Amino acid sequence: MPDAFGLAAIIAKFALYLGLMTAAGTVMATCMFRLDRTRGLAAAFAVVGLMATILAFSLRGANLTGNVSGMTDPEMLGLLWTTPVGTALLLRLVGLGLLIAGLFMGRLGMWISMLGGIIAIWSFDHIGHVSSRDTTLLEIALTLHLLAVALWIGVLTPLKRLASSPATYTSAADVGHRFGVVAMVTVPALIIAGGYMGYELAGSLEALVGTGYGQALIIKMLLVGLLLGLAAANKLRFIPALRAGDPAAAGHLSKSISVEWLVILAVLGTTAVLTTNLTLPT
Amino acid sequence: MKTFLLAGMIGIWATGAMAHSPLDATTPANEATVTEMPSEVLMDFKGDIRLTRVSITHADTHSMDMDLGDQTAFTQEFALPMHDMGAGTYVVEWRGLGSDGHALNGTFSFNVE
Repeated sequence: MPDAFGLAAIIAKFALYLGLMTAAGTVMATCMFRLDRTRGLAAAFAVVGLMATILAFSLRGANLTGNVSGMTDPEMLGLLWTTPVGTALLLRLVGLGLLIAGLFMGRLGMWISMLGGIIAIWSFDHIGHVSSRDTTLLEIALTLHLLAVALWIGVLTPLKRLASSPATYTSAADVGHRFGVVAMVTVPALIIAGGYMGYELAGSLEALVGTGYGQALIIKMLLVGLLLGLAAANKLRFIPALRAGDPAAAGHLSKSISVEWLVILAVLGTTAVLTTNLTLPT
Repeated sequence: MKTFLLAGMIGIWATGAMAHSPLDATTPANEATVTEMPSEVLMDFKGDIRLTRVSITHADTHSMDMDLGDQTAFTQEFALPMHDMGAGTYVVEWRGLGSDGHALNGTFSFNVE
Protein backbone atom coordinates (compact mmCIF):
# COMPACT_ATOMS: atom_id res chain seq x y z
CA MET A 1 0.00 0.00 0.00
CA PRO A 2 1.27 3.48 -0.69
CA ASP A 3 1.04 5.78 2.30
CA ALA A 4 -1.33 8.75 2.42
CA PHE A 5 1.23 10.86 0.58
CA GLY A 6 1.53 8.23 -2.13
CA LEU A 7 -2.23 8.30 -2.67
CA ALA A 8 -2.31 12.10 -2.57
CA ALA A 9 0.48 12.15 -5.16
CA ILE A 10 -1.56 9.91 -7.49
CA ILE A 11 -4.65 12.10 -7.10
CA ALA A 12 -2.63 15.29 -7.70
CA LYS A 13 -1.06 13.73 -10.79
CA PHE A 14 -4.50 12.75 -12.10
CA ALA A 15 -5.77 16.32 -11.60
CA LEU A 16 -2.61 17.62 -13.28
CA TYR A 17 -3.14 15.43 -16.35
CA LEU A 18 -6.83 16.27 -16.53
CA GLY A 19 -6.37 20.03 -16.09
CA LEU A 20 -3.27 20.51 -18.21
CA MET A 21 -4.26 18.23 -21.08
CA THR A 22 -7.86 19.47 -21.29
CA ALA A 23 -6.81 23.14 -21.15
CA ALA A 24 -4.09 22.66 -23.79
CA GLY A 25 -6.38 20.51 -25.94
CA THR A 26 -9.25 22.98 -25.75
CA VAL A 27 -7.12 25.85 -27.08
CA MET A 28 -5.58 23.58 -29.74
CA ALA A 29 -9.05 22.49 -30.89
CA THR A 30 -10.25 26.12 -30.78
CA CYS A 31 -7.45 27.28 -33.08
CA MET A 32 -7.74 24.30 -35.39
CA PHE A 33 -11.51 24.16 -35.79
CA ARG A 34 -12.35 27.85 -35.12
CA LEU A 35 -14.54 27.05 -32.16
CA ASP A 36 -16.44 29.69 -30.19
CA ARG A 37 -17.16 30.04 -26.48
CA THR A 38 -14.33 27.81 -25.29
CA ARG A 39 -12.49 30.37 -23.16
CA GLY A 40 -14.27 29.57 -19.89
CA LEU A 41 -13.67 25.87 -20.38
CA ALA A 42 -9.96 26.32 -21.12
CA ALA A 43 -9.52 28.75 -18.21
CA ALA A 44 -11.26 26.45 -15.71
CA PHE A 45 -9.13 23.44 -16.63
CA ALA A 46 -5.95 25.54 -16.73
CA VAL A 47 -6.65 26.65 -13.15
CA VAL A 48 -7.15 23.00 -12.14
CA GLY A 49 -3.84 22.23 -13.86
CA LEU A 50 -2.06 25.08 -12.07
CA MET A 51 -3.35 24.08 -8.64
CA ALA A 52 -2.48 20.43 -9.24
CA THR A 53 1.00 21.44 -10.47
CA ILE A 54 1.69 23.27 -7.22
CA LEU A 55 0.14 20.54 -5.07
CA ALA A 56 2.11 17.79 -6.82
CA PHE A 57 5.36 19.74 -6.36
CA SER A 58 4.59 20.36 -2.71
CA LEU A 59 3.74 16.68 -2.14
CA ARG A 60 7.16 15.77 -3.49
CA GLY A 61 8.54 17.84 -0.61
CA ALA A 62 6.48 15.76 1.82
CA ASN A 63 7.88 12.63 0.21
CA LEU A 64 11.38 13.79 1.08
CA THR A 65 10.71 14.33 4.76
CA GLY A 66 8.02 11.71 5.24
CA ASN A 67 5.61 14.18 6.85
CA VAL A 68 3.35 17.15 6.11
CA SER A 69 5.97 19.72 7.07
CA GLY A 70 7.92 18.83 3.93
CA MET A 71 5.13 20.33 1.80
CA THR A 72 6.21 23.82 2.81
CA ASP A 73 9.80 23.17 3.89
CA PRO A 74 11.90 25.77 2.00
CA GLU A 75 14.98 23.55 2.10
CA MET A 76 13.17 20.55 0.57
CA LEU A 77 11.32 22.61 -2.05
CA GLY A 78 14.53 24.51 -2.85
CA LEU A 79 16.32 21.20 -3.29
CA LEU A 80 13.60 19.94 -5.66
CA TRP A 81 13.81 23.19 -7.60
CA THR A 82 17.45 22.42 -8.52
CA THR A 83 16.47 19.11 -10.14
CA PRO A 84 14.50 18.42 -13.35
CA VAL A 85 11.37 18.50 -11.14
CA GLY A 86 11.97 22.25 -10.78
CA THR A 87 12.35 22.65 -14.55
CA ALA A 88 9.04 20.86 -15.12
CA LEU A 89 7.36 23.04 -12.48
CA LEU A 90 8.66 26.19 -14.17
CA LEU A 91 7.50 25.07 -17.64
CA ARG A 92 4.04 24.21 -16.31
CA LEU A 93 3.64 27.50 -14.45
CA VAL A 94 4.85 29.53 -17.44
CA GLY A 95 2.89 27.43 -19.95
CA LEU A 96 -0.42 27.45 -18.08
CA GLY A 97 0.13 31.13 -17.16
CA LEU A 98 0.56 32.02 -20.85
CA LEU A 99 -2.44 29.88 -21.72
CA ILE A 100 -4.67 31.76 -19.27
CA ALA A 101 -3.24 35.19 -20.25
CA GLY A 102 -3.88 34.46 -23.95
CA LEU A 103 -7.55 33.78 -23.24
CA PHE A 104 -8.00 37.46 -22.39
CA MET A 105 -6.32 38.75 -25.56
CA GLY A 106 -8.92 38.19 -28.25
CA ARG A 107 -8.59 35.97 -31.31
CA LEU A 108 -4.81 36.32 -31.60
CA GLY A 109 -4.50 35.47 -27.91
CA MET A 110 -5.68 31.93 -28.68
CA TRP A 111 -2.38 31.32 -30.44
CA ILE A 112 -0.51 32.57 -27.36
CA SER A 113 -2.68 30.20 -25.32
CA MET A 114 -1.80 27.36 -27.67
CA LEU A 115 1.91 28.13 -27.32
CA GLY A 116 1.43 28.05 -23.54
CA GLY A 117 -0.34 24.70 -23.80
CA ILE A 118 2.50 23.25 -25.86
CA ILE A 119 5.10 24.53 -23.36
CA ALA A 120 3.10 22.94 -20.52
CA ILE A 121 2.89 19.63 -22.42
CA TRP A 122 6.60 19.80 -23.19
CA SER A 123 7.26 19.80 -19.41
CA PHE A 124 6.54 16.07 -19.37
CA ASP A 125 9.71 15.47 -21.38
CA HIS A 126 11.81 16.69 -18.48
CA ILE A 127 10.87 14.30 -15.72
CA GLY A 128 9.79 10.75 -15.27
CA HIS A 129 10.50 7.45 -16.92
CA VAL A 130 10.98 8.85 -20.41
CA SER A 131 13.48 11.58 -19.49
CA SER A 132 15.55 9.15 -17.44
CA ARG A 133 16.18 7.09 -20.60
CA ASP A 134 17.75 10.09 -22.25
CA THR A 135 16.80 9.22 -25.80
CA THR A 136 15.54 11.93 -28.13
CA LEU A 137 13.27 9.55 -30.02
CA LEU A 138 11.39 8.67 -26.83
CA GLU A 139 10.99 12.36 -26.00
CA ILE A 140 9.64 13.10 -29.48
CA ALA A 141 7.26 10.13 -29.16
CA LEU A 142 6.01 11.38 -25.78
CA THR A 143 5.43 14.92 -27.10
CA LEU A 144 3.55 13.69 -30.18
CA HIS A 145 1.55 11.27 -28.03
CA LEU A 146 0.53 14.02 -25.60
CA LEU A 147 -0.30 16.58 -28.31
CA ALA A 148 -2.56 14.05 -30.05
CA VAL A 149 -4.19 13.05 -26.75
CA ALA A 150 -4.75 16.71 -25.82
CA LEU A 151 -6.42 17.51 -29.15
CA TRP A 152 -8.71 14.49 -28.78
CA ILE A 153 -9.71 15.47 -25.24
CA GLY A 154 -10.00 19.14 -26.19
CA VAL A 155 -12.50 18.63 -28.98
CA LEU A 156 -14.92 16.51 -26.94
CA THR A 157 -16.70 19.07 -24.76
CA PRO A 158 -17.11 21.77 -27.46
CA LEU A 159 -18.41 19.09 -29.84
CA LYS A 160 -20.84 17.77 -27.26
CA ARG A 161 -22.07 21.31 -26.65
CA LEU A 162 -22.65 21.88 -30.38
CA ALA A 163 -24.52 18.57 -30.60
CA SER A 164 -26.83 19.49 -27.74
CA SER A 165 -28.74 22.28 -29.52
CA PRO A 166 -30.61 21.93 -32.85
CA ALA A 167 -29.36 25.39 -33.87
CA THR A 168 -25.77 24.13 -33.94
CA TYR A 169 -26.28 20.62 -35.34
CA THR A 170 -24.68 21.71 -38.62
CA SER A 171 -21.63 23.08 -36.84
CA ALA A 172 -21.40 19.89 -34.77
CA ALA A 173 -21.46 17.78 -37.92
CA ASP A 174 -18.86 20.04 -39.52
CA VAL A 175 -16.47 20.09 -36.54
CA GLY A 176 -16.96 16.36 -36.01
CA HIS A 177 -16.19 15.69 -39.65
CA ARG A 178 -13.08 17.88 -39.67
CA PHE A 179 -11.78 16.32 -36.44
CA GLY A 180 -12.42 12.92 -38.00
CA VAL A 181 -10.16 13.88 -40.91
CA VAL A 182 -7.40 15.19 -38.59
CA ALA A 183 -7.77 12.12 -36.38
CA MET A 184 -6.91 9.88 -39.33
CA VAL A 185 -3.37 11.18 -38.79
CA THR A 186 -3.23 12.05 -35.09
CA VAL A 187 -4.84 8.89 -33.69
CA PRO A 188 -2.51 6.44 -35.49
CA ALA A 189 0.40 8.71 -34.44
CA LEU A 190 -0.85 8.59 -30.84
CA ILE A 191 -1.05 4.79 -30.90
CA ILE A 192 2.29 4.27 -32.64
CA ALA A 193 4.03 6.68 -30.24
CA GLY A 194 2.32 5.06 -27.24
CA GLY A 195 3.17 1.56 -28.46
CA TYR A 196 6.79 2.52 -29.04
CA MET A 197 7.10 4.04 -25.55
CA GLY A 198 5.43 1.01 -23.97
CA TYR A 199 7.79 -1.30 -25.86
CA GLU A 200 10.84 0.71 -24.82
CA LEU A 201 9.80 1.12 -21.19
CA ALA A 202 8.38 -2.33 -20.48
CA GLY A 203 11.08 -4.04 -22.51
CA SER A 204 9.64 -7.53 -22.90
CA LEU A 205 6.41 -9.49 -23.07
CA GLU A 206 7.20 -11.13 -19.72
CA ALA A 207 7.59 -7.71 -18.11
CA LEU A 208 4.33 -6.60 -19.70
CA VAL A 209 2.39 -9.52 -18.25
CA GLY A 210 4.37 -10.14 -15.09
CA THR A 211 4.92 -6.72 -13.52
CA GLY A 212 2.55 -4.17 -12.04
CA TYR A 213 3.80 -1.61 -14.52
CA GLY A 214 3.12 -3.89 -17.47
CA GLN A 215 -0.32 -4.83 -16.18
CA ALA A 216 -1.27 -1.18 -15.75
CA LEU A 217 -0.10 -0.64 -19.32
CA ILE A 218 -2.35 -3.49 -20.47
CA ILE A 219 -5.34 -1.91 -18.68
CA LYS A 220 -4.51 1.39 -20.37
CA MET A 221 -4.38 -0.30 -23.78
CA LEU A 222 -7.73 -2.03 -23.22
CA LEU A 223 -9.30 1.29 -22.24
CA VAL A 224 -7.82 2.96 -25.31
CA GLY A 225 -9.24 0.12 -27.41
CA LEU A 226 -12.66 0.94 -25.96
CA LEU A 227 -12.12 4.61 -26.85
CA LEU A 228 -11.23 3.71 -30.41
CA GLY A 229 -14.49 1.76 -30.69
CA LEU A 230 -16.48 4.77 -29.51
CA ALA A 231 -14.52 7.10 -31.79
CA ALA A 232 -15.12 4.79 -34.75
CA ALA A 233 -18.89 4.80 -34.03
CA ASN A 234 -18.82 8.62 -33.98
CA LYS A 235 -16.81 8.94 -37.14
CA LEU A 236 -18.48 6.24 -39.21
CA ARG A 237 -22.09 6.45 -38.01
CA PHE A 238 -23.18 9.42 -35.91
CA ILE A 239 -21.25 12.23 -37.65
CA PRO A 240 -22.26 11.12 -41.18
CA ALA A 241 -25.88 10.74 -40.00
CA LEU A 242 -25.79 14.20 -38.45
CA ARG A 243 -24.34 15.65 -41.66
CA ALA A 244 -27.19 14.00 -43.54
CA GLY A 245 -29.61 15.86 -41.25
CA ASP A 246 -30.71 13.09 -38.88
CA PRO A 247 -31.44 14.88 -35.55
CA ALA A 248 -31.41 11.61 -33.57
CA ALA A 249 -27.70 11.27 -34.41
CA ALA A 250 -26.96 14.35 -32.29
CA GLY A 251 -28.27 12.59 -29.20
CA HIS A 252 -26.25 9.47 -29.96
CA LEU A 253 -23.13 11.55 -30.54
CA SER A 254 -23.64 13.43 -27.28
CA LYS A 255 -24.07 10.20 -25.29
CA SER A 256 -21.11 8.61 -26.98
CA ILE A 257 -18.94 11.62 -26.04
CA SER A 258 -20.05 11.33 -22.40
CA VAL A 259 -18.95 7.70 -22.34
CA GLU A 260 -15.71 8.67 -24.07
CA TRP A 261 -15.07 11.17 -21.27
CA LEU A 262 -15.56 8.49 -18.61
CA VAL A 263 -13.11 6.17 -20.36
CA ILE A 264 -10.62 9.04 -20.74
CA LEU A 265 -10.84 9.71 -16.98
CA ALA A 266 -10.04 6.04 -16.37
CA VAL A 267 -7.11 6.23 -18.82
CA LEU A 268 -5.71 9.32 -17.07
CA GLY A 269 -6.18 7.62 -13.69
CA THR A 270 -4.30 4.52 -14.85
CA THR A 271 -1.55 6.74 -16.26
CA ALA A 272 -1.23 8.59 -12.95
CA VAL A 273 -0.70 5.25 -11.18
CA LEU A 274 1.78 4.18 -13.85
CA THR A 275 3.90 7.29 -13.60
CA THR A 276 3.66 7.84 -9.85
CA ASN A 277 3.64 4.56 -8.09
CA LEU A 278 4.99 1.80 -10.28
CA THR A 279 8.59 1.04 -11.04
CA LEU A 280 9.68 0.20 -14.52
CA PRO A 281 10.51 -3.44 -15.09
CA THR A 282 14.28 -3.87 -15.07
CA MET B 1 -19.30 6.23 -10.46
CA LYS B 2 -17.88 3.21 -12.25
CA THR B 3 -14.85 5.25 -13.17
CA PHE B 4 -14.20 6.15 -9.56
CA LEU B 5 -14.60 2.52 -8.53
CA LEU B 6 -12.23 1.47 -11.27
CA ALA B 7 -9.70 4.14 -10.31
CA GLY B 8 -9.97 2.99 -6.70
CA MET B 9 -9.46 -0.63 -7.66
CA ILE B 10 -6.45 0.28 -9.78
CA GLY B 11 -5.06 2.29 -6.88
CA ILE B 12 -5.34 -0.61 -4.47
CA TRP B 13 -4.00 -3.17 -6.91
CA ALA B 14 -1.13 -1.03 -8.04
CA THR B 15 0.27 -0.51 -4.60
CA GLY B 16 2.36 -3.65 -4.38
CA ALA B 17 5.47 -2.16 -5.81
CA MET B 18 6.61 1.02 -4.10
CA ALA B 19 9.20 2.63 -6.22
CA HIS B 20 12.92 2.79 -6.41
CA SER B 21 15.37 1.20 -4.03
CA PRO B 22 18.76 2.14 -5.38
CA LEU B 23 20.75 1.24 -2.27
CA ASP B 24 23.70 -0.86 -3.37
CA ALA B 25 25.08 -1.94 -0.02
CA THR B 26 25.16 -0.97 3.62
CA THR B 27 27.60 -1.59 6.45
CA PRO B 28 26.43 -3.38 8.52
CA ALA B 29 24.64 -5.29 5.78
CA ASN B 30 20.87 -5.58 5.83
CA GLU B 31 19.73 -8.13 8.44
CA ALA B 32 23.33 -8.74 9.56
CA THR B 33 24.20 -9.49 13.18
CA VAL B 34 27.21 -7.72 14.65
CA THR B 35 28.85 -8.23 18.02
CA GLU B 36 29.65 -4.60 18.67
CA MET B 37 27.75 -1.41 17.95
CA PRO B 38 29.36 0.25 14.90
CA SER B 39 30.39 3.86 15.34
CA GLU B 40 28.89 4.71 11.99
CA VAL B 41 26.59 3.27 9.37
CA LEU B 42 27.76 3.31 5.78
CA MET B 43 25.30 3.60 2.92
CA ASP B 44 26.43 3.06 -0.64
CA PHE B 45 24.01 4.08 -3.40
CA LYS B 46 24.00 3.17 -7.08
CA GLY B 47 23.55 6.78 -8.16
CA ASP B 48 23.94 10.25 -6.73
CA ILE B 49 21.44 11.04 -4.01
CA ARG B 50 20.90 13.68 -1.37
CA LEU B 51 19.63 12.21 1.88
CA THR B 52 16.75 14.22 3.29
CA ARG B 53 15.76 12.18 6.31
CA VAL B 54 17.19 9.23 8.19
CA SER B 55 15.56 7.86 11.29
CA ILE B 56 16.76 5.02 13.46
CA THR B 57 14.52 2.87 15.58
CA HIS B 58 16.06 0.70 18.26
CA ALA B 59 14.28 -2.43 19.46
CA ASP B 60 10.91 -1.07 18.30
CA THR B 61 10.98 1.55 21.02
CA HIS B 62 13.42 4.44 20.70
CA SER B 63 13.20 6.31 17.46
CA MET B 64 15.40 9.24 16.57
CA ASP B 65 16.05 11.38 13.51
CA MET B 66 19.66 11.74 12.49
CA ASP B 67 21.18 15.15 12.09
CA LEU B 68 21.85 15.54 8.38
CA GLY B 69 23.19 19.06 8.79
CA ASP B 70 26.49 18.45 6.98
CA GLN B 71 25.00 16.33 4.19
CA THR B 72 24.35 19.04 1.63
CA ALA B 73 25.55 17.49 -1.61
CA PHE B 74 24.40 14.85 -4.06
CA THR B 75 26.73 11.92 -3.60
CA GLN B 76 26.87 8.12 -3.59
CA GLU B 77 28.40 7.24 -0.24
CA PHE B 78 27.29 8.29 3.20
CA ALA B 79 28.75 7.62 6.63
CA LEU B 80 26.31 8.41 9.39
CA PRO B 81 27.49 8.47 13.01
CA MET B 82 25.58 6.13 15.32
CA HIS B 83 24.63 6.40 18.96
CA ASP B 84 24.92 3.24 20.97
CA MET B 85 21.47 2.40 22.29
CA GLY B 86 22.43 -1.08 23.45
CA ALA B 87 21.86 -4.56 22.07
CA GLY B 88 18.90 -5.35 19.85
CA THR B 89 17.62 -4.62 16.38
CA TYR B 90 18.28 -1.27 14.73
CA VAL B 91 15.99 -0.28 11.87
CA VAL B 92 17.23 2.51 9.60
CA GLU B 93 14.62 4.28 7.52
CA TRP B 94 15.93 6.68 4.93
CA ARG B 95 14.49 9.14 2.45
CA GLY B 96 16.30 11.05 -0.23
CA LEU B 97 16.22 12.76 -3.58
CA GLY B 98 17.95 11.37 -6.66
CA SER B 99 19.74 13.91 -8.84
CA ASP B 100 17.14 13.22 -11.55
CA GLY B 101 14.42 14.49 -9.18
CA HIS B 102 13.07 11.08 -8.15
CA ALA B 103 12.14 10.71 -4.51
CA LEU B 104 13.73 7.60 -3.06
CA ASN B 105 13.23 5.75 0.18
CA GLY B 106 13.99 2.49 1.86
CA THR B 107 14.63 0.61 5.05
CA PHE B 108 17.32 -1.74 6.30
CA SER B 109 18.08 -3.27 9.67
CA PHE B 110 20.85 -4.91 11.61
CA ASN B 111 21.13 -6.62 14.92
CA VAL B 112 23.61 -5.88 17.73
CA GLU B 113 24.27 -8.79 20.09
